[in-house]
Amino acid sequence: MRVVVADDVMLTREGIARLLDEAGIDVVAQVEDADGLLREVRLKTPDAAIVDIRMPPTHTDEGLVAAQRIRTDHPATGVLVLSQYVEPSYAMRLLEEHPERVGYLLKQRVFDVAVLVDALRRIGDGETVVDPTIVSRLVGRRRRQDPLGELTAREREVLGLVAEGLSNGAIASRLFVTERTVEAHVKQVLLKLGLTVDPDSHRRVLAVLAYLRSDSP
Amino acid sequence: MADSRFAAGIGLAMLAVVVSALAWAIAALLTVEHGGGLETSYAAALPAGRAADFAAGIGLLAAGGLAATQPRTRRLGVLALLAGLAWFGADWEGAEDAPALLRSLGALVAPLTLVFVFHLALAVPDGRVRSSAGRVAVIGAYLLVAVLTVGRAVFRDPLLDLYCWRNCTDNSFLVHADAGTASALSDGLLWSALAIALGLVAFAWRRLLGATGPGRRPLLPILGPALLVGASEATYAITLLRTPLEDPDRAGFAAIFLARSLSYALLALGLAWSLVRVARTRARLARLATDLGEAPRPGMLRDTLAAALGDPGIGVLYPRGAQDELIDADGRTAESPPPGRAVARIARGDRPVALVLHDPALVSEPELARALGSAARLSVENEALRAEAMAQLHALQTSRARIVETADAARRQLERDLHDGAQQRLLALSYDLRLVRASTADDGDTELVSMLDAAAGETEAALEELRELAHGIYPAILTEAGLGPALQTLADEAPLPVELGDLPPERAAPGVERTAYVVVDEAIDDAAGRGAAWLHVRVRRDAGRFVVTIEDDGAPRSARLVHLLDRVGALGGSLDVRDTSLRAEIPCE
Repeated sequence: MRVVVADDVMLTREGIARLLDEAGIDVVAQVEDADGLLREVRLKTPDAAIVDIRMPPTHTDEGLVAAQRIRTDHPATGVLVLSQYVEPSYAMRLLEEHPERVGYLLKQRVFDVAVLVDALRRIGDGETVVDPTIVSRLVGRRRRQDPLGELTAREREVLGLVAEGLSNGAIASRLFVTERTVEAHVKQVLLKLGLTVDPDSHRRVLAVLAYLRSDSP
Repeated sequence: MADSRFAAGIGLAMLAVVVSALAWAIAALLTVEHGGGLETSYAAALPAGRAADFAAGIGLLAAGGLAATQPRTRRLGVLALLAGLAWFGADWEGAEDAPALLRSLGALVAPLTLVFVFHLALAVPDGRVRSSAGRVAVIGAYLLVAVLTVGRAVFRDPLLDLYCWRNCTDNSFLVHADAGTASALSDGLLWSALAIALGLVAFAWRRLLGATGPGRRPLLPILGPALLVGASEATYAITLLRTPLEDPDRAGFAAIFLARSLSYALLALGLAWSLVRVARTRARLARLATDLGEAPRPGMLRDTLAAALGDPGIGVLYPRGAQDELIDADGRTAESPPPGRAVARIARGDRPVALVLHDPALVSEPELARALGSAARLSVENEALRAEAMAQLHALQTSRARIVETADAARRQLERDLHDGAQQRLLALSYDLRLVRASTADDGDTELVSMLDAAAGETEAALEELRELAHGIYPAILTEAGLGPALQTLADEAPLPVELGDLPPERAAPGVERTAYVVVDEAIDDAAGRGAAWLHVRVRRDAGRFVVTIEDDGAPRSARLVHLLDRVGALGGSLDVRDTSLRAEIPCE
């Protein structure tokens, strides 16, 4: 797998590159800003780009903007956005236009090289990756009338994994059940929450996130 | 006593002058009527002639007499009176039944009518000719016409005059009959009349064009008709130079006479109108003094003045501090007085208390200063004190807002420093620990691996705490994504259900967003402390304000949330704290 790493802080950039190197992933370029990132992606057409959300010149959302550009201009290249903020808004913004081959992970998550490699692999397979911390925060949000209370424990678990971007197959192997069972759970959850999204589409991640974020679902 | 007797004397003298002038005029008109068969004046010759003649002459006398009774217009009034008297000279000259001396006198003074009007036009508005060129022109006109008309009287024998019309018989002042000299002097009189008339037109035109807006208003009633007088008199002189034999039966001469009469009558009307204006302004000033004596509501001095003087552009400024920086009634720094505005100073001792910027054409500065004097001084000083207090308030508000902004900027910087510094170093440390652990695991040193795992765990815990600390110091999402996403995050993390109603889609100034955020943040803590089961937040943008409304179902509040009051107040906003609700209004424009 060929990857470009973009982060304006050299220590982080090097750290990620060395972890990837250890895991046998080919880091074809390291860049420090969005312009360099877009140039390297155009030149080297990597399988994925790992992008820090906060980069020069304004240190706000340059990484997000660049991620969307890459997804539009190079559909074959996936993007994994890294952030130090637990901000569902950013994750949802990333998923809004291109709900596949994108991921939003907290930076400390990638300490675990297995997590990082797994995320890159899922993105390569066309899936979506949303950081579990963000999902658990959304699922755990206090509500006046909590429709999640109607879900069984297993259904809540499935809902969380759907929100993290896992496919039915991935959920099945994570929970040690058959894919058919997962399909049934997903249908049941969407029905109970009144969500009309197609249970098999990539759009279901965003729909579930948006649902979890709304006040009185 | 002496003064009033003197004033009464002047009054009596004026009365006598006006009565004799009227007698002179009415007698002239009556004499004209008894003119017999031959028509030797326009008043007798034309059907409308007498009315026009009367309107012009009596009009000038009446308006002049009235104007002469007012100190501000006395000089103009006297000039109009003199013009009216001279106007009837032509009627006397043509009055066949009148004594020869009167007819000769009439011929002598008639040419002065135009000169008096010339003088009057140059002396608008206060009766004094301001420019030295103007003074030279006026004196020159008087001398020229006087010399020519006296010369003509000395040399002209009417019996020898080929073109005589009004008076072909009498000249009481004849010293030496010389038809050639008399004719040359007559022509000279016509040429000088032409020159004066054209001068009058040019002057009136330039003065009217040069004045702007309100400045033109008081000039127009007098200079407009004066321009017409000049034009008609110039036409008359040119016609006589080309056709010396004057004949009222010819339409040209008749029309010119009617035009001249009409323009003089208009001039009289204009003068009368100016008098009405002056009287009205004086009445307004008198009322103003009363109004101000009763102390108008604070901040209303300017409006009271504008209404009283009919000058909407009036301004009142107050000098402040050692540099006499000018501020307006609301305490805001004002520019120096704009050009074209007169400045009336209202002073206490040597020190100016207020400057009134007004339209110089409406009222003179000393008049205004006098009117705003004694009676109004108290309210003017009150107003000045209020303006000073307002200025201090503005300074205080600015400084409060600055303190809050500085504190926010410092927090923001701290958050950035943490993010870019300590957090990044800890991240790098974690990566290194992971790498070392990986290679140690390969070597099979389990004890070291577990130590490295513990170290990595500690590092992650430190990172997590640091991340929360940084977010607490300053939520980066607020600056980067705006109030909506930042409030969403607050709601995600809140210990009780937080419902977000409408949120404004557009961004606002950082200080405004930050203040709204802090209000919601504190309200959530407060509601949780009072055992609320839910909290509802709405943020609207309404008429230049951010309105944050928060309701909950907790126990009634006992605290007043003073620090929130400070925070919202620093931006000039207001905070309404009730038992279980909160409403903050923050100006955002």
